[in-house]
Amino acid sequence: MNSFVKVLAHKLFALSVLIGIGAWFLVLPAFTGHLGANPLDKLLHQSGEIAIWTLGSVLALTPLRVLFPHLRIVTALNRHRRAIGVTACIYGLLHFSFHVLYEGGLVGLVRSFSKPFIWFGAGGLTILVILAVTSNQLSIRTLGAKNWKRLHRLVYVAAAVLIYHQAIAGKGHLATARWLLFSLASLQLARLTKTLVWKKRPATSSPTAAQQVPLGPGPTGLGKSSHQSPESVLDRCQRSPRRRLPADENRRYFHPA
Amino acid sequence: MKSRRAARAWELPDSAVLAESQYLRRREFLRLVGYGLLASAILPPTMRAASAGFPDSLNPAFKLDGVKLTPEDSIASYNNFYEWGLAKEQPKELSNKGWKTEPWSIEIGGLCTNARKIDVNDLIKVVGGIERRNYRHRCVEAWSMVIPWEGFPLSKLVALAHPKPEAKYVKFTSFFDPEHCPGQRSNDLHWPYTEGLTLPEATNELAFVATGLYGKPLRNQNGAPIRLVVPWKYGFKGAKSLKKIEFVPEQPKTTWNELAPDEYGFYANVNPNVDHPRWSQASERVIGGGFFSGRQPTLMFNGYEKQVAHLYAGMDLRKNF
Repeated sequence: MNSFVKVLAHKLFALSVLIGIGAWFLVLPAFTGHLGANPLDKLLHQSGEIAIWTLGSVLALTPLRVLFPHLRIVTALNRHRRAIGVTACIYGLLHFSFHVLYEGGLVGLVRSFSKPFIWFGAGGLTILVILAVTSNQLSIRTLGAKNWKRLHRLVYVAAAVLIYHQAIAGKGHLATARWLLFSLASLQLARLTKTLVWKKRPATSSPTAAQQVPLGPGPTGLGKSSHQSPESVLDRCQRSPRRRLPADENRRYFHPA
Repeated sequence: MKSRRAARAWELPDSAVLAESQYLRRREFLRLVGYGLLASAILPPTMRAASAGFPDSLNPAFKLDGVKLTPEDSIASYNNFYEWGLAKEQPKELSNKGWKTEPWSIEIGGLCTNARKIDVNDLIKVVGGIERRNYRHRCVEAWSMVIPWEGFPLSKLVALAHPKPEAKYVKFTSFFDPEHCPGQRSNDLHWPYTEGLTLPEATNELAFVATGLYGKPLRNQNGAPIRLVVPWKYGFKGAKSLKKIEFVPEQPKTTWNELAPDEYGFYANVNPNVDHPRWSQASERVIGGGFFSGRQPTLMFNGYEKQVAHLYAGMDLRKNF
């Protein structure tokens, strides 16, 4: 279990999965002639599908972290959020380039922009590009942690717009989009509920938490720390010697959503 | 009725196009039937497809000079046939897992004096055999093929049925077999698939009933054993694996139109000037081209304007899309 989590937390693991998906669904079929009679159409759809699910998975990670702060698999995977988010953007850009090719050049591309279906896709992707470009320490410093976090909350707008883009794409995509929306919405709802409940709750003891989580002092410095906000538990789980961040206060802003 | 017109290139006398001697030489025909019986006894069922063994020849009026035929493999593996699944490669796989299209009978009924239920092979014999026509095929999804169909003009079937004067439309109903057919077990569409044409459309010389392509009986994924082909309309009008053809007084409900009336009209004539809500119909990707092949402009009525435009004279095609 320990080594499994270690593997999950490893950068190499994340990269190989993220690149592997593209290799498996786009590159391999292209080289083995398995793209069918309309290869570009296949690539267009596969890349879009990969992009939206990659985006969906990164959006699932934050709520999961709040809901299951002690689950080591969750914390391990949460280390890859930046990589997953940037990858979603890259697959989105790939999807867009296939669209350009599919339209057969500038005239077709311009014509395609007369459709709301395309606006939603392009709008969502534009947000993803802005977020991907600012997914680095320099941007956080330049913008300030608070602004950066605000900016990156746009990912929810992007997700909504892109899931709509997927939903109206036809051909059973409505069903897929519904599943994606349903899963993400329920996760967010559960997360918000938990956060609100924790915030409201006064400093009364919570025996189960105390028994299960002997984690030492919380951020308030209460030694017994039987009540911990998800944020504080989260901070602790996030804290690993290698990725320790300079200022305590800033740390939480590195987890944008 | 129109008065005498100058004969157009394709209006060859019947003897040239459908030479009876070519199709129905009695001895040859009997020999074929004999082989057929023999074949049905010894060959596996998939080889005994309906309409196998009928000789055909290209109708020179529908040769489509200078146009490249779509590779057979592409036609047989890129199919919108939702009865078998939403993905284009699914029909090829799933329709060939024990779904029997032989023997196959088709019902001709509704407002006609000569209603009947008839075996597909018998029907081909009754209408006088099959011919080959190369037709452009334009999907509403903005891709296109060129397909060498075999079959007979729908007008022959209409003539055979003797529609009553009250009949204004022809309704086509596909098979319904949810037991074999995974797509029909879902509610994606209202099954069975139905399509419709006005009577003048159905008797237009282009409207075609296909029983084969590339010189072979229709494969299951292409709508075996008998399907409609209306080359000036988007592909979804060509209902596959027909079980029933009815003459009706009013515009029948058609599957796609019922599901998304703003996207798929009843007429569904190929029209580069009327877009689909999600994409332009001004151009199309030709199946079989490479990654960088680009698009070709879509033609009004898919290039069959001369033959069919008169059917829609005075009609607002933007409204009646």
